[in-house]
Amino acid sequence: MKVLLVEDNERVSQFVLKGLQEAGHTTDHAANGRDGMFLAASEPYDVIVMDRMLPGDVDGLAIIEVLRRTGKRTPILILSALTEVDDRIRGLRAGGDDYLTKPFAFGELLARIDALHRRAHGVRPDVPLTVGDLHLDPLTRKVSRGDRPIALQPREFKLLEYLMRHAGQVVTRTMLLENVWDYHFDPQTNVVDVHISKLRQKIDAEFERPLLRTVRNAGYMVTSGE
Amino acid sequence: MRSSAVSLAAASVALGVVALVLFAAPLWYAWQVTIQESRTEILQADAQRLAEVYRRDGEAGLAATIGARVRMQIVGERILLLTDGRLRPLAGNLASWPATVPTAPGNYRVTLQSGAAGTQSALAHVERLGDDYLLVARDNRLFGPLVHRFWYGLAAAFAALLICGTLVGLITRRRLMWRVHGIRQTISAIMQGDLKQRLPTGRREDELAILAHTINGMLDQIEVLVNGVRNVSNSIAHDLRTPLAELRSRLEQLALIRPSPAETFTEVDGAVADIDRVIRIFDALLRLAEIDAGVRRAGFVRVDVSDLAATAAEFYAPAAELRDVRLECRVGGPLPVVGDPVLLSQALANLIDNAIKYAPAGGGVVEVVAERRGDGVEITVSDNGPGIAGGEKARVLERFYRGDASRGTPGAGLGLSLVQAIAKLHGCGFELRDRRPGLEAALRFPPAAATARAERPDAAASAARAILAPHDGR
Repeated sequence: MKVLLVEDNERVSQFVLKGLQEAGHTTDHAANGRDGMFLAASEPYDVIVMDRMLPGDVDGLAIIEVLRRTGKRTPILILSALTEVDDRIRGLRAGGDDYLTKPFAFGELLARIDALHRRAHGVRPDVPLTVGDLHLDPLTRKVSRGDRPIALQPREFKLLEYLMRHAGQVVTRTMLLENVWDYHFDPQTNVVDVHISKLRQKIDAEFERPLLRTVRNAGYMVTSGE
Repeated sequence: MRSSAVSLAAASVALGVVALVLFAAPLWYAWQVTIQESRTEILQADAQRLAEVYRRDGEAGLAATIGARVRMQIVGERILLLTDGRLRPLAGNLASWPATVPTAPGNYRVTLQSGAAGTQSALAHVERLGDDYLLVARDNRLFGPLVHRFWYGLAAAFAALLICGTLVGLITRRRLMWRVHGIRQTISAIMQGDLKQRLPTGRREDELAILAHTINGMLDQIEVLVNGVRNVSNSIAHDLRTPLAELRSRLEQLALIRPSPAETFTEVDGAVADIDRVIRIFDALLRLAEIDAGVRRAGFVRVDVSDLAATAAEFYAPAAELRDVRLECRVGGPLPVVGDPVLLSQALANLIDNAIKYAPAGGGVVEVVAERRGDGVEITVSDNGPGIAGGEKARVLERFYRGDASRGTPGAGLGLSLVQAIAKLHGCGFELRDRRPGLEAALRFPPAAATARAERPDAAASAARAILAPHDGR
């Protein structure tokens, strides 16, 4: 995946670029708004990570608006030190696809970049999902593993569906809170973990190969691979 | 300086003058008319009597009567003149027929020239007796003092009005200035930082006292806020210092000891957790500040609180299960209110989280109830834990306050104050009630919030929420 990072802080940039490269992505970096604008408009990127406050009082949102007006549909993740919800909404209205506040955990950033990329490459909502021998049909709302049907509560179904749509990718607790419960705040508990362990009981407990894994310091992943 | 007291006094004086004029003018007019009429009547009656004498005693008789009358009276008071057909005087106290008086019978207002008295205004009556002319006139001077007295009276009233008005204006101004000065002194003391000072209100309930009361109320509020800020900054200092101190010593230790890589990584993980704690406190504080500033009201939409309550209860169900606490949720039908769904969810989550934390593990019961009560909507979250002692109830709402029972449990002590701030933003009542055993936290939406229509149409609201929560094709 080719990622453009528009960020002026040198240490943050180094850290993010290094992390992205280690995760196997190709990266470009722009330290100011003009370079960022130029690269974003001329090169084909899979995901753009855009800081809001750029040198010379340039607002990342302005760049995003210009890109969107010129027809660029590249998924954009906004980084910002501004946490007010109003700000978040403004960022997303300007044409951003996701919003992450500083300071952030790198795992969170990586997971969100993956999710954005996945979403940009066509999600068909009604197609049955399969991971290993685990099947989920969004239309009939039936879940089965092997030939054994699994009964899930509506919210458990939503949780599993989200995890399976991002199969092979790390999904963070915050992403789960936002997308499964629509909770845009930090409940300051480990309740998500408890939900996951309940789900795990249902889909993994009686099977030899666990599909729902915990990724240390990051989140969870549903995968059939090693 | 233009003083309000002085302009008020000037306006009153002007009003008084107008009233005086309105009173005196008709009086003057009526008086003039009446005098004229009665004097004309007197002259006519006088002329009548003289005509009677003429008819009875002839021209010579009348001349004798007039001569006698003229000799008896004081000079100039009454003017009598009898002339023959060619206006030659026969008797009377005028030397000749005055040029200003016509000879035709009737009443005239004229100016006469009479001997010693000089020019004088008079009322004259002319009568024709046979060939003779009779002039009876009466000097107006008699009424002069009366007229003067009238004008003097009027002038005196005017002067009194002016003096009183000026005095009242000056006195009022002095007293006002004196009280304003007191207020100014107090306020400058307050501006210098003595927030305990209050304006003097006195016993009276006049305008200034009302103003002083209002300002005192404002000062009370400011004092509470300032103390709040002071407390918060103290608490921030304390609550942020602790994790930062731990972090610092952890990293210092690491640099000093240089342990094995495995141990180093454990320490680094611990350091990241410390930082996350700091960030969490920061976020909670920022959110509180945001709520206090009221900016979130812009995001108010119509939301169903029974739906929010059910979601929150369901979210925490596994956590309750883990502690062997029974979590019951009873919500009636849709209960629409106008509010911020994110904040209301957070408030409910905080309350349920608290209730589960304090309900006794194994056998605890937490109830979440959302129902219509009276005109409003009430959401209660109750537990059967230790509850909160009466005196502590107010304190638990303070920022960073942590009850003795909560020492050792995670949390920054901001949970309930956040709920309270959210309730305040929504115009909700937030109450902690005893349940013996346990605690019931109640959020009461007033009828306005519970029934008012959303300011933004629901479509726009759901669009905003859709932006907030980018779903994967759901």
